[in-house]
Amino acid sequence: MRVAVLLLASAIAALAQADFSGVWRPAMGRGRGGAAGAIAFKSPYKEKYEAMRAREREAAARGEQLAARGLCEPYGMPGMMQVAVYPMEVIQTPKQVTIIAEAFSEVRRIYIGKPQAALDDLDPGYYGHSVGHWEGSTLVVDTIGIKESVLGYQEMPHSEQMRITERMQKAGADTLEDQITIADPVVLEKPVTYTISYRLVPNYEMVEFVCENNREYVDANGVVRMKLQNK
Amino acid sequence: MRIRGFACIAGTLWAATAWAHHSFVMFDTSKEVTLTGAVTSFEWTNPHVYIEIDVPGEAGAVKHWSVELGSPSILRNSGWKHDTLKPGEKITLIINPLKNGNPGGLLVQANLPDDRKLGNGPGREPK
Repeated sequence: MRVAVLLLASAIAALAQADFSGVWRPAMGRGRGGAAGAIAFKSPYKEKYEAMRAREREAAARGEQLAARGLCEPYGMPGMMQVAVYPMEVIQTPKQVTIIAEAFSEVRRIYIGKPQAALDDLDPGYYGHSVGHWEGSTLVVDTIGIKESVLGYQEMPHSEQMRITERMQKAGADTLEDQITIADPVVLEKPVTYTISYRLVPNYEMVEFVCENNREYVDANGVVRMKLQNK
Repeated sequence: MRIRGFACIAGTLWAATAWAHHSFVMFDTSKEVTLTGAVTSFEWTNPHVYIEIDVPGEAGAVKHWSVELGSPSILRNSGWKHDTLKPGEKITLIINPLKNGNPGGLLVQANLPDDRKLGNGPGREPK
């Protein structure tokens, strides 16, 4: 009897889980509720961030772009969850949700039902270590282990203690939402939360993206330039 | 080659939404340059597609230009294919030139040998 109840409970829980399988394209805009001005940095990160933004604005007024990151470098987490309007493919199994972003062919793996690793045991990386669990039809994902050189939301800096919590859920049959919360006890006074909305792209076959022909380079002043084919 | 100004609201929108790799700021979106010449190479690559073109000028001098497009993923649903252009073909390109005056720019519209007109992906359709 007890086994039957457990099996039934397990079956009901599985039914409540949503199916995110498919290809999803981010809606236009940079999510909701996370404007750059709203990021509550601790000092001195606040001053450094504002100075960086001021330098970027001054450069833009001169018709120049300052390089915030390597120009053939993948975005990592959480940036890879929305790169312009490039789609991402979700492959879902009971034990793992795999997300493949088309831009720069970035891949992240979310291990379902596994405990999170100790931060010290992880090599800092672009995607960190992600574990997830279901709360009804919402997949809650915990990610740690992102290296400091990987720029975060709105190019915000972070420490290796950054923790990203995502709540992924369907909002209708063809809409997926990812509420992303970034917490960092070293850099932030309080967590930053924003939401990315995606639309299902039926029958889409992902396009290969290898950054093989990067003509943009960064000059000695940190300005992005276009390399020309001189003849 | 001719240059004229125009407002590029669509281009700004496109830059904000479809430009994965770098910003738009190095190109002068208030200007258009029209280039007519022979394709020397068509590079269907990431992170950008490029058209290399020799443009005959006055007194027989040839000037070479490099023209940047979006990525294959962005362009393939706007009429472009990996073999849309071949070396030697004569085409006309309308571009937003580099602000620093170097012979390069961002594609606005390509007038192909078969008379088709192609833009630079969603939000930058041909005129």
